[in-house]
Amino acid sequence: MAGVLTKKLLLIVGLVMVALLIVGLVRGAIGSAILGSEPLIPRPEIHLPPQPVFPASSRELHLGLTPASGESASEADPHAVAPTDEHGDAAASDDAEGQEEAHSTPLGINEFAITNTMLSAWFATIVIILFFVLGAGKKSLVPGRFQSVIESIFEAIINFSSGVLGHDMARKAFPIVATIFFFVLFNAWLGLLPVYQFLGFVGADDNLIKVHLLRPAGTDLNMPLALALVSFVFVEVWGFKAHGFGYLAKFFPFASIIKKGPFQGLIDVFVGLLEFISELIRMVSFTFRLFGNMTAGEILVVMITFLVPLVATNFVYGLELLVGLIQSVIFAGLTLVFLSVAVSHEEH
Amino acid sequence: MTQLGLNIPTLIVYVVNFSILLGVLYFFAYKPLLRAMDQRSERISESLAAADRARDEAANSQAAIAEQLNEARREGQRLLDQAREVAERYREEEMVRARSEAESFVERARTDIQRERDAALDEVRVSFGDLAITAAERVIRRSVDRQAHQELIAQVLEESGDSLRRGS
Repeated sequence: MAGVLTKKLLLIVGLVMVALLIVGLVRGAIGSAILGSEPLIPRPEIHLPPQPVFPASSRELHLGLTPASGESASEADPHAVAPTDEHGDAAASDDAEGQEEAHSTPLGINEFAITNTMLSAWFATIVIILFFVLGAGKKSLVPGRFQSVIESIFEAIINFSSGVLGHDMARKAFPIVATIFFFVLFNAWLGLLPVYQFLGFVGADDNLIKVHLLRPAGTDLNMPLALALVSFVFVEVWGFKAHGFGYLAKFFPFASIIKKGPFQGLIDVFVGLLEFISELIRMVSFTFRLFGNMTAGEILVVMITFLVPLVATNFVYGLELLVGLIQSVIFAGLTLVFLSVAVSHEEH
Repeated sequence: MTQLGLNIPTLIVYVVNFSILLGVLYFFAYKPLLRAMDQRSERISESLAAADRARDEAANSQAAIAEQLNEARREGQRLLDQAREVAERYREEEMVRARSEAESFVERARTDIQRERDAALDEVRVSFGDLAITAAERVIRRSVDRQAHQELIAQVLEESGDSLRRGS
């Protein structure tokens, strides 16, 4: 009986999904372009640099909002505006594009403003802290369900690190590796919450969200770069701890010119130079791997929502969950690997 | 690079943000939780070891108890055997003593009888002499000849012998 009901339910859900998909195809950008109607979702704007949110003057300056017309409405409260409410036509989005050229000037390199990515990073930080501090709060010897979950996550990370570093070292490296993992993971996953899409400040001339209040921190180049810097410093400090100043000989093996003769010595010096460069390049690869993945995911979600709204985005969300997990594992895992290379006692 | 969004203050904010997160998690989550986990695993291994020890001890003490029980049983058996043996010996000794006592009683009775008989014989012999004299007196009074004399003595002897034999 229950089996039949479940089957029926599944069938109904499936049919609804298919219907929504068809509606999405027809009413989305693709169908609209063919039918010549106006798309359900207005054309999204993609900003590579994060947008300043606070102070308001900085926000308006960078978005070209004229304070006279829209300030009071947009500054007083961040409007929760459903994208479906919008009515803009093709001309309007063309206008928006035209304006975008003008007002998408990013922050100057030394200019300070609170950006939407920063806000979401703080949000993620608070969520992480709540999650773990609540989970570890009671610290009882016989763990509850929540504590067991967190402990098994910790255990998994320690086991993973032990495979690379050995048990003792893994225990010491655990805090930073785990924090990198959780920071990347929570930023990526929280960024999938719909809140990120519909909270924002609308423009003065139309009802479109011009500045989102929250935007996944991974899509801000500075966040992966900050993590890469932390990871780099961490690895180098551990390298120095393990080898003393002899650690530098890995990159500048001038001693081997005397030890092994000029020819072999020069090769060693060159190899050392390559090592040094790769050590620095790592930061760049770290940064752009995460930045690229997160930004691509964000753009993919926005674009699919624009092209085929309603259900098609769900598959992208599934994909993005996976990508977020993979990227956080990669970031933490590579930090571990570089750490093990830095502390390993190889003779050069 | 600024077109990509590179911004030094933002970068610093993220580094600080991450450091704060690291610090908070370290002091409020990692350290206490890892300590709790370590304590638990220590506790578990300890209690496993204790359980092993207890089991060993139980097995040992069981063996010891069985050993003691056997020992006690053997001891009991030994005591019983000993007691039986002692009783046997005692019985035999008593028997021997009783028999010898009885024998000595019989012996004494026999010697008593012998002595009584001898005494009786002596008495008879004395009275026999008297009889002989009496007989002789009679003979003399009747003044019989030698032959009659002889016959009389024989007769008396025979009579006395008969009476003696009857009397004994």
